[in-house]
Amino acid sequence: MNNHDFLLWWERIIAMTLKELKQLFRDPVLLLIIAYFFTLDVYMAGSGINLSLRNASVMVIDHDHSAASRELIYRFRPPYFDFKGEITGKNEAEALLNKGRILAVLDIPENFQRHLLQGLPEAVQFQVDTSNTVLGTLATVYAAEITAGFGQDFAGKRTDMNTGQMAVLPLIQNRYRVLYNPNRIDSWFMSIMELLTVTTMLSMMLPAAAAVREKERGTIEQLAVSPLSSLQILFPKVISMGMVILFGVSVCLFFIIIPIFDLPVKGSISLFFAVTALFVFTTSGIGLFIATISHSLGQVTMLVILLLLPIILLSGAWTPPEAMPQALQWAMYISPLYYYNEMSYAILLKGAGIDVLWDSILSLTALGAVFFNFGVWRFRRQFG
Amino acid sequence: MNFNRVWAVTYKEWREIFRDRLFFAMAFVLPIGIFLAVGFGISFDVEKINFAVLDQDNTATSRNFLHRLMDSRYFDYKGHVQSERELDPLLADSDIRFAIIIPPRFEEQLLSGQTTSVQSLIDGVFPYRAEVAKGYISAIIANFNEQSLVTHSVSKFGITKQQAMAQVSPVRLESRYLYNQALRSQWSISSGFMMLVLMVAPPFLTALGVVREKENGSIYNIYASTISRSEFILGKLLPYLLISCLNIIILWWLVMTIFGTPFKGHPFFYYLASVIYVICTTGVGLVVSLLVRTQVAAVMLTIVISFIPAMLYSGLLVPIESMGTETQIESHLFPTLYFLRVTWGSFLKGLGWAELWFDVAALVFYAILLWVIGFLNFHKRPSE
Repeated sequence: MNNHDFLLWWERIIAMTLKELKQLFRDPVLLLIIAYFFTLDVYMAGSGINLSLRNASVMVIDHDHSAASRELIYRFRPPYFDFKGEITGKNEAEALLNKGRILAVLDIPENFQRHLLQGLPEAVQFQVDTSNTVLGTLATVYAAEITAGFGQDFAGKRTDMNTGQMAVLPLIQNRYRVLYNPNRIDSWFMSIMELLTVTTMLSMMLPAAAAVREKERGTIEQLAVSPLSSLQILFPKVISMGMVILFGVSVCLFFIIIPIFDLPVKGSISLFFAVTALFVFTTSGIGLFIATISHSLGQVTMLVILLLLPIILLSGAWTPPEAMPQALQWAMYISPLYYYNEMSYAILLKGAGIDVLWDSILSLTALGAVFFNFGVWRFRRQFG
Repeated sequence: MNFNRVWAVTYKEWREIFRDRLFFAMAFVLPIGIFLAVGFGISFDVEKINFAVLDQDNTATSRNFLHRLMDSRYFDYKGHVQSERELDPLLADSDIRFAIIIPPRFEEQLLSGQTTSVQSLIDGVFPYRAEVAKGYISAIIANFNEQSLVTHSVSKFGITKQQAMAQVSPVRLESRYLYNQALRSQWSISSGFMMLVLMVAPPFLTALGVVREKENGSIYNIYASTISRSEFILGKLLPYLLISCLNIIILWWLVMTIFGTPFKGHPFFYYLASVIYVICTTGVGLVVSLLVRTQVAAVMLTIVISFIPAMLYSGLLVPIESMGTETQIESHLFPTLYFLRVTWGSFLKGLGWAELWFDVAALVFYAILLWVIGFLNFHKRPSE
C-alpha cells in the first residue's frame, strides 16, 4: 500500500465517522437518553442504593424483665438496629413479621438473669425475616456479634474481671482492616457498577443500531456499491459511537462519580480510559454480529437485551466468580464485562497497574479481536 | 364499544406476531431468558470466599487455627505466602478476597495464657460481601477462643467443662430464619425476579408492537378507519396481555421446579394479582409507545422507566429499609414494590387477601391510571 492509498483509506474512514456522528446528533431523543444514562442514572444508582443494614426494626418479647435483659435489649440500637418496643406474644410477633413491619423479633426467656448469675448457659431466640437475603444475613451476623459481646461482658463482670484483666486470658483478637473502601461506602461500588452497565449496553446497542438502520432503510445498498470496503463501512460506526461513549464515561467520572461520591481514584485514569476503549471495541463486535442477524431495529434491541442480561450477570459484579457454579465460571471467561469489571475496580479503587492487570488486558484484547473479526466477517458475507 | 372491531384488531395483531418468527420466539424466549440469566447470575450467598494465609508463627496451634478457616464451607483456601508484600497484588487482582496474618509468637502467647491477635485484610470493594466475610471470620475466631478458654479454665481452676463453658459464653443466639429457612438467596431472588421479568417483558413487546406500526406507517390505516381509539387500544394490547398471562404460568413453574422455591400462598389469589400486574405493565408499554416514534427510542425508554426501577427501587436487591428517605418515597411511586410484596408474601410467607389487599389495590390503581393516560394521549389525528 503506497502513501496515497493510505491517506485515502483514512480519509474515507474519517468521512464515514463524521457522517455517523452527524446522524446521531440529529436524533435528539436518543441523545437525551444517552445523556440521562451517563448522568442521572448513575447518580441515582450511587446515591439511593445502600446494601447495608440501617435501623432495622426489632421488637422484643421479654419474658424476664430484668437488668440483664434490658442491658441486652439496649445493645440493639442504631446504626444497625432500631428497637421499636416490646410485644407480648408470639402471635403478635408473627403478625408483625408477616406484614413486614419489623425485620426481627428477639425472644428473651424467663429466668434469663437468674440462670446467667448461676452460671447456667442461656439461649435467646432471634427470629429474622429472611425473604430479603441481604437484610436477613446481615441482621443475623450483627445480632450474633452483639449477643457474643454481651455474653463476654456479662461473664467478665460476674467473675469480677474487668477488661484489663481479660488480657491475661488466652484469647485471639481479630484486628481486621477493610481495604480499598475502609468506610464501606456503597455508593462507590454501585455508581461504578452502573457506569459499567450503561457502557456495556450502549456499546452494544449504538453500533448495532447504526448498522441495522442502514439495512432497514436500504441505504446499505448505496454503501455496498460505493468504493468503501466492509471494514470501512463498519469501523467508522464503532469509532464514532466509541467516541460518544468515551465522552459520556468521562463526563460521568469527572462530574458525577468523583465530585459527588468523593471517589478517591487510586490508579491511573488514562489506563482506565484505555481499558474502556478496548472494552467498547470488544462489545461493539458483538453489536455488529447482532446487526447482521437481524432485519429491523426492533429485533436488534431485543437481541441486545437478551445478550446484555447474561453479560451483566456473568460479570462478577453481583456475584464473584468463586461463588458461581462451575459451568457459569467457564462462561464468565468469555464475557468481556468480566474483565472490564475487574479491571475498573482494580484501577479506580485498588490502584492496580499494568503489572497486575496484564493478563486481563490480554484476554480482553483477544476476545475483542475474535468478536470484531467475526462481526466483520458475517457482514462481508452478507454484503461483500 | 364494538367487540367485532376489537376482535378484528386482535386477530390481525395475533397473525402479525405469529408470522414474525423472531418476534414470536422473543415473546416467550425473552422473559424466560431474562429470568434464567438473573436467577442463576445473582446470588447473595456469601460462600467460597478466596483467601490466602501469611503464617509467621508456623506452629501446631497456628495450623490448628487455620484449619478451621480452611475447612469452612464459607472459605476457599488459596495458599500460603511468605511476606506481606506478596498479598497486595493478590488482593488487587481479586485472586483473593481476604488475607489472614498470624503474628510470630502466636502459639507461645496463647500457651502462656496471654492474649494475641490475628490480622485480617478484607477486600472492601463490595461492602456487603466484606461485611459478611468479616462476620464469618469473627465467628470462627470466637469459636476458637471459646474452646481454648474452656481448656484453660478447666486446667487452671479445676471446674467442669460445662461450668467453664457457661462462664466463657453464657448466652447463645439461636437464630430462626423465617420464610426462607435455609437462608437461600435463590428462593427469594428467583420468586422476586417474576416481578422483574413481568415488568420488563410486557412493556417491551407492547411498545415495540405499537411503535412498529408508527414506524412502518401502517398506523395510518387505523387513523383512517372507523375503529374508535378505545377499541384499537384494547384490540391491539389483548394479544400481548394473553402472551404475558401465559408467561406468568411458565415463570411460576420455573421458579418452583428449577429453583425449588416453595409456594405457600393461595394460587388463585396470586394468579389474579399477577394478571392485574401484567395489565399494569402492559399499560407502561402503551404509555411508552405514545411518547416515542422509533423502536430504538421505545426500547431505551422502556429500560429507563421499567428495568432500572424494577431492579433497584423495588426492594428486590436493595432493601427498602436501608434506602435514603428520598429514595424510599421514590420507590413507593413504582408499582414494582407492591407486586414484590405480593410475590414474596405468596411464595415465602403464605399470605393471602387479608394481609395483601392494600398492595393489590395499589396495582389496580396503577393499571387504571396507566390505561387512562394511554387512552387520553392516543389520538387518531396526529398533530404533525
